[in-house]
Parts: sequence; C-alpha cells; structure tokens
Amino acid sequence: MGKLTIGTFSSLVGSMSLDFAVKLAEAAVKKGHNVDFWMSGNATMLAKKGQKAFKDYSFLSKTLQEMLATGNFNITACEACAEARGYHKEDCPEGFQRKSMDWYLASTFEADRVLHIGGD
Amino acid sequence: MKLAVLMSDYRTGSDIIDRLSAEKLGIILVGNGVYHAAAKEDGKACAILDKKAEFFALTEDFESRGFTADKLDSRVKAVNYSDVVDLIFNDYEKVIWL
Repeated sequence: MGKLTIGTFSSLVGSMSLDFAVKLAEAAVKKGHNVDFWMSGNATMLAKKGQKAFKDYSFLSKTLQEMLATGNFNITACEACAEARGYHKEDCPEGFQRKSMDWYLASTFEADRVLHIGGD
Repeated sequence: MKLAVLMSDYRTGSDIIDRLSAEKLGIILVGNGVYHAAAKEDGKACAILDKKAEFFALTEDFESRGFTADKLDSRVKAVNYSDVVDLIFNDYEKVIWL
C-alpha cells in the first residue's frame, strides 16, 4: 500500500475538482492506501463544521468523516487561508487539522504519489 | 518517466498536452475533459486522441454528461475511481492535473 498526497487549490464546495479530489481520496482509502488531503485557498471551506446536505448539491462531510474513521486519512486546511476567510480553529470539525504550508510540503516529500489540483 | 495527466477541461489544456512527452504517457479524462473522448467537431474526433498515449475516461463523469461507454472513441478506455487509483499507483510515476 502507498501514500497519496492530494493538494487542492480548488474553488468552494460544489466545484467539480473538489468533488473529484474527495472521491479519488475515498477510492484510494477504500483500497487501503494512506491519503493526506491538503486544502488551500477557497478549498479550506471544505473544513468548516456544520455543513448541511441539500438535495442535488454536493455534500462531502459524511465521506470525509468516514475516511477519517479509517485512520488512513489526514485532512488539513491551510491555516492562513482559513484565517483570511474568517474561519478559525473553533470552526474546524473534529479530526481536521490546520497547518502551515510546511505540512503540505513535508507530506509531498513522504508520499509515493502526489496530485496537485489547481484552482478553478 | 511514466506520466499520467488528469485532463479536466475541454476547451483548455490541449496545447499543454501537445508539448508533453514521456516514456509512457497516460491521459485520464475527468470532469469536462471527458468530452475529448466522445465529442466530434466537423465530424472529427478530438486531436489529442492522436497523441501517442493511453487514454482513459472516468465513467461517472461521462455518464453524468449523457454519454455511454459505447459512444467513446475506440482509443479510450472507461475507468472508475478505483481504476484511477490503480493507474496512479501501478502504471505511472508522476501525476499532473490540467
């Protein structure tokens, strides 16, 4: 089994690339791989607690919690990007981390595969 | 180098594909990139399919856009998310997103 690091600089929840990134992470975790999931820019809002499911609208929180429960999934938001958007430590769901970009850099060096998804 | 390219758009990125070369090149069409696998302009298939590469299209994404596997160009193989994970870990060393 390997380690996959996904860095996403995508748009908000509901964007195609953010949905793709989470689904790819889910598939990798299901196959027994470890996944580090990094969020920068507007993607940090994926790590805001209290998100609700609406019909025909992307809802990723449940999938993220299920992946966290496996112990093979780390999800980390860029602390500066979050703070810039008024999203503070107390807004973070349980199990989610907030770190500086050093964390992402270290993760990419340790990973077997890296996928960096740019903004949209 | 064995390089996989996740191509997520239809109108942009082809120029970058043109400039890429790799010992082994895989192009995985996702999101709106799946149109490359099935759309025709002036009766012609997309030019990127002429590239020396292996082509894949994400089933969930082409089906959500109204295509079925039999509508894909014969050079393109339908894959699911699990297959994409296997491609990333087993078939290619580097992965980039376009």
